[in-house]
Amino acid sequence: MATSSSATQHPAGGTSGTSQPELERYARLLDEARQIKGVSLGLDAWRRLRRNRVAMISLGFLILLSLLALLTPFLPLQSPIEQHPQDRQFLPPRTDGVSLGLASINSPDEYRQRFEQLFHKRNGFDHLLVRARLAIFGDWTIGSLFGTDELGRDVMARLFWGARVSLIVGVVATLVSLVIGVSYGAIAGYMGGRVDNAMMRLVDVLYSIPFIFLVIFLISIINEETISARLQNYGINQITTFYIVIGAIFWLTMARVVRGQVISLKNEQFVEAARTIGAGSFTIIFRHLVPNLLSIVIVYLTLTIPSVMLFEAFLSFLGLGVSPPNVSWGLMANDGIQVITPVKIYWWLILFPGLALAMTLFGLNFLGDGLRDALDPRMKDR
Amino acid sequence: MVLTLWIVFTVAFFLMRAVPGGPFQEDRKLPPEIEANIRAQFNLDAPLHEQYLTHLGRAAQLDFGSSYKLKDFTVNEVIAQGFPISASLGIFALVFAFTLGTAAGIISALRRQSWLDVSFMAMATLGIAVPNFVLASLCIVLFVFTMKLLPAAGWGSLEQIILPALCLGAPFAAYIARLTRTGMLDVLSQDFIKTAYAKGLHPRRVILRHALRGAILPVVSYLGPATAGILTGSLVLERIFALPGMGSHFIDAATQRDYTLAMGMVLVYTLLLYTMNMLVDISYALIDPRVRLD
Amino acid sequence: MQHAARRMFPYIALVLGLGAVTYAVSFGTLPPADFTWVNETEIQSVDPQKVTGVPEGRVINCLFEGLYRFHPETLEPMPALAERHTVSDDLKTYTFYLRPGLTWSDGSPLTAEDFRWSWMRFLHPENAAQYAYQLYYVKNAAKYNVGELAAGDSVEVEIDDRPPHPSGREQLFPRGTILRGTLVSITKPPEPELADGLSEEDRADALAQWKQRWSYEVEIDGSSRHFSKSDLDGNQRCRHVLFDYNHVGVRVIDERTLEVTLENPTPYFLQLMAFYPLYSVHRATIEEHGVPLWTKPENIVSSGPFQLQFRRIRDRTRMVKNPRYWNAQSVAFNVIDALAVNSNTTALNLYMNGQADWITDVPGPVIPILQDRADFNSQPMLTTYFYRLCVEKPPLDDIRVRQALNLAIDKRIICEAILRAGQVPARSLVPPGLAGYEPAEGAERNVERAKELLAQAGYPNGRGMPRITILYNTLESHRTIAERIQSEWKKHLGIDVELENQEWGVYLDRVRSLDYHIARAAWVGDYADPNTFLDMFVTGGENNETGWGDPEYDRLIALASTQSDPAERMATLHKAEEILMEELPIIPVYFYVSKNMVRPYVGGFHGNILDRHDIVHMSVDAEEKDRVLEAEGIH
Repeated sequence: MATSSSATQHPAGGTSGTSQPELERYARLLDEARQIKGVSLGLDAWRRLRRNRVAMISLGFLILLSLLALLTPFLPLQSPIEQHPQDRQFLPPRTDGVSLGLASINSPDEYRQRFEQLFHKRNGFDHLLVRARLAIFGDWTIGSLFGTDELGRDVMARLFWGARVSLIVGVVATLVSLVIGVSYGAIAGYMGGRVDNAMMRLVDVLYSIPFIFLVIFLISIINEETISARLQNYGINQITTFYIVIGAIFWLTMARVVRGQVISLKNEQFVEAARTIGAGSFTIIFRHLVPNLLSIVIVYLTLTIPSVMLFEAFLSFLGLGVSPPNVSWGLMANDGIQVITPVKIYWWLILFPGLALAMTLFGLNFLGDGLRDALDPRMKDR
Repeated sequence: MVLTLWIVFTVAFFLMRAVPGGPFQEDRKLPPEIEANIRAQFNLDAPLHEQYLTHLGRAAQLDFGSSYKLKDFTVNEVIAQGFPISASLGIFALVFAFTLGTAAGIISALRRQSWLDVSFMAMATLGIAVPNFVLASLCIVLFVFTMKLLPAAGWGSLEQIILPALCLGAPFAAYIARLTRTGMLDVLSQDFIKTAYAKGLHPRRVILRHALRGAILPVVSYLGPATAGILTGSLVLERIFALPGMGSHFIDAATQRDYTLAMGMVLVYTLLLYTMNMLVDISYALIDPRVRLD
Repeated sequence: MQHAARRMFPYIALVLGLGAVTYAVSFGTLPPADFTWVNETEIQSVDPQKVTGVPEGRVINCLFEGLYRFHPETLEPMPALAERHTVSDDLKTYTFYLRPGLTWSDGSPLTAEDFRWSWMRFLHPENAAQYAYQLYYVKNAAKYNVGELAAGDSVEVEIDDRPPHPSGREQLFPRGTILRGTLVSITKPPEPELADGLSEEDRADALAQWKQRWSYEVEIDGSSRHFSKSDLDGNQRCRHVLFDYNHVGVRVIDERTLEVTLENPTPYFLQLMAFYPLYSVHRATIEEHGVPLWTKPENIVSSGPFQLQFRRIRDRTRMVKNPRYWNAQSVAFNVIDALAVNSNTTALNLYMNGQADWITDVPGPVIPILQDRADFNSQPMLTTYFYRLCVEKPPLDDIRVRQALNLAIDKRIICEAILRAGQVPARSLVPPGLAGYEPAEGAERNVERAKELLAQAGYPNGRGMPRITILYNTLESHRTIAERIQSEWKKHLGIDVELENQEWGVYLDRVRSLDYHIARAAWVGDYADPNTFLDMFVTGGENNETGWGDPEYDRLIALASTQSDPAERMATLHKAEEILMEELPIIPVYFYVSKNMVRPYVGGFHGNILDRHDIVHMSVDAEEKDRVLEAEGIH
């Protein structure tokens, strides 16, 4: 059970009426306790996690994926946006590719123009990576191993560039929802009574708003030229608004789950113990309750990132997703199902985006499982 | 409740009017006089707050007026035709998701780390990981055109509901399986289960009567959002399978600025979610002995 | 109590669940139809005078009929409810003779008066028909519809005494007491001052309210009376003061003879008689049930080959044969279904699975594969896909920039590589294939020339060119084409173009308020004549939407409408199109083709440039159908 270890973990809040030397003794004791605990919790979990092979593979995969996504411009891939409608349409996977035709250009003007044809506008970091790539690989590219699409664009290159958008949307939106959801739910659950009632009533109201309408409206308002120009001034583009909107929607479930969990936890002994030694509400919630929610929060986290990514795909299906030349996995999957028909199936257009989505979400889920097992103090005895 | 509906109504009303574009815009522009005639006919020329009050008053009497786009029907008729279909689809999907999900979850938890657990969870993860429109397309190819077992689309027979309900329920079944497994593992590690085993109770009884009750809590609290998700998910599936439910009305009413239909839809959806969440709260209280009934 | 509730809960939940499942699987079965087609979206209404869409047209052409009906192959107007017509020497007066013994589906006689009344309803401002302008060719019809009056006009005043309608909603018909007389004057209160910042809609609303307070002095039977739409002292309250419908060019000679007088010779007027907004509707039904209740299956009375049996929203519209149709013996089907299916992938699935006999569209990517099939029926259509350029926005105000943009697009690639259904690259606005008209084609693709022009305009290699945006509404192929054009402009001209995807309502709003640089557009010919395309771009035309205008162009279009010699008229229109193709406020991209899939056992289906196919001409060979479906393994 968690109670004994948790209780020692919590420092005393207000110890009024105790003498100075006693206080110091307490402080020393608590300091020691904290040190021991701090080391053991992290290391212990890590040790347990390392024993879980599936989780480690997932973790490795996710790290690799993030690195690849970050370094996409450096990889010798073809252009994700240049079209070859005449001769490279719907090609099944093959080993030949289209060379970039960028390395030999000397005039900066022409270089810039060709660059934007190939990669659209990019920031300085990406420019640097492309330079590095040209220095190492020259114009050489990997062949169209995943085939080409309706406009003759290389599917593999699009997958890598799409990974950047999809991953960022998933992670950032989830973090937004996590921060809001956990603090909101924990506070409501702990406070109970009227505060809880009022806070949950608000969640109920928000819950009952069909958010798909909100998203449609918000996206069309944001896309208005005057508004989008104003947002652009603050450096906010469509994708940024995307994950803020999505994140703002997904916190509700998190808040409810956390609240439910807090309610069943708050009558447990360790909370009573913390309260007896005079810890304030804030301390109890964020130092004592929230760490105990970690397992359930992580489970939801590993489930929320996928659902955010799926929501992005859903919006793409409705034609409200990211707009070209940006590309996301959802957009690609939607392009893919357009070509699943009874007369002809261009399988590579649905298989590879689907696989990329599925593998990422697989990884996230298994990693979540592993983390959960590793972090849950209640599993210690077994 | 009334407060919720009112807030939703107000937010939706003004949000919808804030978006550029009106309900009667067609491909070709009309002479201004004809446009004025149309606007007058639908009372769109009144000041916004007056329109708001008129609509609110009517909505309070459950009269949402005529649809702007489906001109032969009132909003109530559209809802009356679409709701049973979406409801059937949703119920089917939920029942399927719940049964399959909990069963798989329990088995996984009991046979932890076995090949059964791993393959169940792999399938569950796949269910969560694949967008339902991709799943639906694959199912159509497989069951309709390769195996020629089921009709491709449409509504009216049991055969026609199977495929959309399966595709709709799949991600939720997967989600529920995971939640059940997690919850089950949580509960199984607790003292009262150990006590129950120690008392010599039959393992099946321990699991079904004691463990399941605690393990199912997260699932129950998930049913509320699941309903919402199923309603949203049915937007996609109703489109792919050409089902005449409410889902496709949602999107079309919003994108075509069918103000009256959109308002009606928002309120029905709101009511539905609210009821479902309330039911979930009640069930939660009924199942979890730790929550006191007031 | 608590305990009981807890114990009962699983059982209650179980019972509820079972009940729900039972409810969910309780279906009624539906007998299959003789012929089923996928009619794209759910139709807005079956009221011919309330809708504008193509899917609506397919259903309305089953339920109702006009004086004429198109020949399924040549589109020649063939006598339908009318058996023949005569035209006066000045080409301005048409006299239609109805068939003897025509009846409505309830058995009541169908007469010339039905048409006169229906067109009155169609034009009445309160009916607010979007297509009302289709009848503006008829003398004074526009005046009646628009409601603008001048002193001396003959007017009809509708007194505010309409009987309350049993449907509980206010109805236009039956109307209140109608008084006829001559307008003496209109007394207007001072015009409201409108602030500059007002939106177009607010402005229109303010003006409408102002018009409510006008006072009309009308001389009726020698005495002068005052009317107003609001309660003004000394005025009688009225609903409408309109131009007198008796002075609109529609006259009933006798039960079977209808005389129509036009403003100008209109060579395509007969085609309009086969166009559904001008079909007649049943007055007694509308007056009894009102709108929209008269369209309910239990109320509706129709005149066409089929009657409405029921409508399931977004599922199907089912129709059955109308035994009282004048030509009922040649109608092949007893029961037909129009399915409402939004996605064309789903439509193709239904077709391949034998659930539909005819689909009107197929998904783009599979067209190359379908093209080899005998049942894929593709025909050039009277529809042009083009880009509007907002000529008020720099740099598009420079004709050289517009020309350069046009010259740099490879339209052939767009047709062959992206669309791939035999679409034709467009160098003119008017599609080819109209009898007697030679489209005025603009310059051919020429990248070098485009570069020169752009340099002359001050943007060599695109340097210094302001950012421009292509606006399109949400649809896969619009995006693909825009991407293609974007990359071509980038490649050849060095211009940065942004793409902007908007859903339909927003897109329309932006185009209308000229709040765009370049916007995707398409125009479907309403009738088989170049005028349906060219009169769009007269200065300030409602559908111009580019800010472009040219006095010579306006003059030519106006001239053509008064010319009675077809060859001369076509030559004038050709000259006008030449101007358009030189000035390029629009860039034509391609001409559409129809993409029908029809099962080989369906007879009477022909391709035509309007892509119009009336079910009344079709039939199904039942044995062949069984054979074909059997062969494909569909039961």
